[in-house]
Amino acid sequence: MDRMTFIIAGIAVALIIAVAAPFLASGNPDGLESAFFSIYDAKSYTGDELDEEAAGAAEERVVEVTGNDFAYESPLPDYTVPGMDTLGEVLAVVIGTLLIFGIAFGISRISARPDK
Amino acid sequence: MHIPDAFIPFPQAIVYWVIALIFIALALRWARRSMGEERVPLVAVLAAGIFAIQALNIPIPWGTSGHMVGAALAAIVLGSPYAGVFVLTLVLLVQGFIFGDGGITVMGANIINMGVVGGFVGFYGYQAVSRLIGNMYVAAFVAGWASLFISAVLCAVELAIAGTFPLDLGLLFMGGYHAIIGVIEGGITAIALYLITSARPDILERPQGVTG
Repeated sequence: MDRMTFIIAGIAVALIIAVAAPFLASGNPDGLESAFFSIYDAKSYTGDELDEEAAGAAEERVVEVTGNDFAYESPLPDYTVPGMDTLGEVLAVVIGTLLIFGIAFGISRISARPDK
Repeated sequence: MHIPDAFIPFPQAIVYWVIALIFIALALRWARRSMGEERVPLVAVLAAGIFAIQALNIPIPWGTSGHMVGAALAAIVLGSPYAGVFVLTLVLLVQGFIFGDGGITVMGANIINMGVVGGFVGFYGYQAVSRLIGNMYVAAFVAGWASLFISAVLCAVELAIAGTFPLDLGLLFMGGYHAIIGVIEGGITAIALYLITSARPDILERPQGVTG
């Protein structure tokens, strides 16, 4: 496979994953969130059930524990486009994939060792 | 494993940012010295692929899910632990600022856990197991698993210092969940390495002299 084909194939694979992810991804809390909810009594260690009310209370309690109430409004919160459903999630992950490709290309271009 | 802002007190978060910035500076020095211009498209594709696959949360038992981090893969393919730092820093910046995934004040801790630990454990784990066993895909699996598990253990220690988790429960829960999620990390690292080396056998920065 020549270099250009490899790059295009790589972007294609990334975009296929990006489009599929919102349909396939599990909505369960991730490992850190799950540990947090378990420790803060919103879920048991090996249990499937999340107590939504206790989860909300846990998120308020942890701010009191750390005192870090910094809040940031991201433009595409939690991989969604505000006001859109699953299509918005696909759009968000695709935008992110293309954006990170562009940023990584630009930053590595600037920081790379110049070819002689 | 993206720590949100509320989990770490602000002064501690600043300390992690300072440590992270030191590793980012070292990663930029690595890029200037060792990352040739011809590698730029590969770095960009790896970053895009890692971002996309991080959005794919795979269910594990116990009402939990986990996703690939990818620092080990970047470090193995690009031949330096600093490649993991470089790529994951970019991914975490976009995730934090555009998608609100991972905090802003605590981003330094996330860069340390996923980029630095992921990159270093991934790279040196791969080297060590490659020499020991001689199979690069087994080495990639073990290195991927270990990179994720040790990231989670460090995360539990940071959150214990923060007062957010008790140390014993934090280690048990973070370790338990991520021992399983590590299988996802190891598996995708090995598969991606296989696909990349099949498509471009010349691509590994330092040929290991081992066969798959």
